[in-house]
Amino acid sequence: MLLKFITASLLLMTALFVSAATPSDLLKSYEAGSGKASPARGEQFFNAKHGKEWSCASCHENPPNHDTKHIVTGKVIKPLAPSANPARFTDEAKADKWFKRNCNDVLGRECTAQEKADVLSWLMTVK
Amino acid sequence: MKKTIFITTALLLASSTAFAGKMVMPSDAPASYEAECASCHMAYPPALLSQQSWKNVMSGLPKHFGTDASVDPKTQAEITSWLVKNAATRQKYSETAPENRISKTSWFIRKHDEIKPDVWKRAGIKSAANCGACHIDAAKGNFSENNIKIPAK
Repeated sequence: MLLKFITASLLLMTALFVSAATPSDLLKSYEAGSGKASPARGEQFFNAKHGKEWSCASCHENPPNHDTKHIVTGKVIKPLAPSANPARFTDEAKADKWFKRNCNDVLGRECTAQEKADVLSWLMTVK
Repeated sequence: MKKTIFITTALLLASSTAFAGKMVMPSDAPASYEAECASCHMAYPPALLSQQSWKNVMSGLPKHFGTDASVDPKTQAEITSWLVKNAATRQKYSETAPENRISKTSWFIRKHDEIKPDVWKRAGIKSAANCGACHIDAAKGNFSENNIKIPAK
């Protein structure tokens, strides 16, 4: 009985550790699908418009290290930079979901692995 | 007799006003409703739209009022069934909303007809989607006329 409990606990802990990623893990994963990340290029990408109405900074502002407001609805958005919000970029599926949605809004297409790597590498430098 | 009718009418009016002010959020909202919908706008109580309107909203998420709000099929089914189950039932609120917008329903327009266009544009309000800008307890489902504070700017 005790053994079963210990085994179950160990399995649960393993599962928790496996699902918890760090921003560095995600960066490596994006870089694996592209080249080395450039924080400077990431910052430029973040602030620029890409043929549509909004940039990333329209909702997240620059630097994205504080609560901001959605440009249309006014809803508060928590800081995007991991230094200000440790929950950011710790769940790859969640990060990918938001990249997909927000890149479609800003660029009218999904972002490339290189663009994700660049932006994330810059966000990791934001104090 | 007249007095009784007067009191009854007054009570009826009072209770219907109270009802109109309350759009309580059902306690069984799936976690995905907060995570997927309320990241970008307040978690609207489902009773603000009819069943058909919610179905329309939820079937068009990749193009959701100018943004991509797509969710995976399992989450979509989960949120849709909860919204539909708790949608508006009273006839007054159950019209199919033009453009699927709460703010285009006839009851919404009637309730807000004294608000001038420039008030809506104030930085503290920005959008009719931002219920909580004026209805200070909107997040709790309280839209009572006695509980409003319109931002001056």
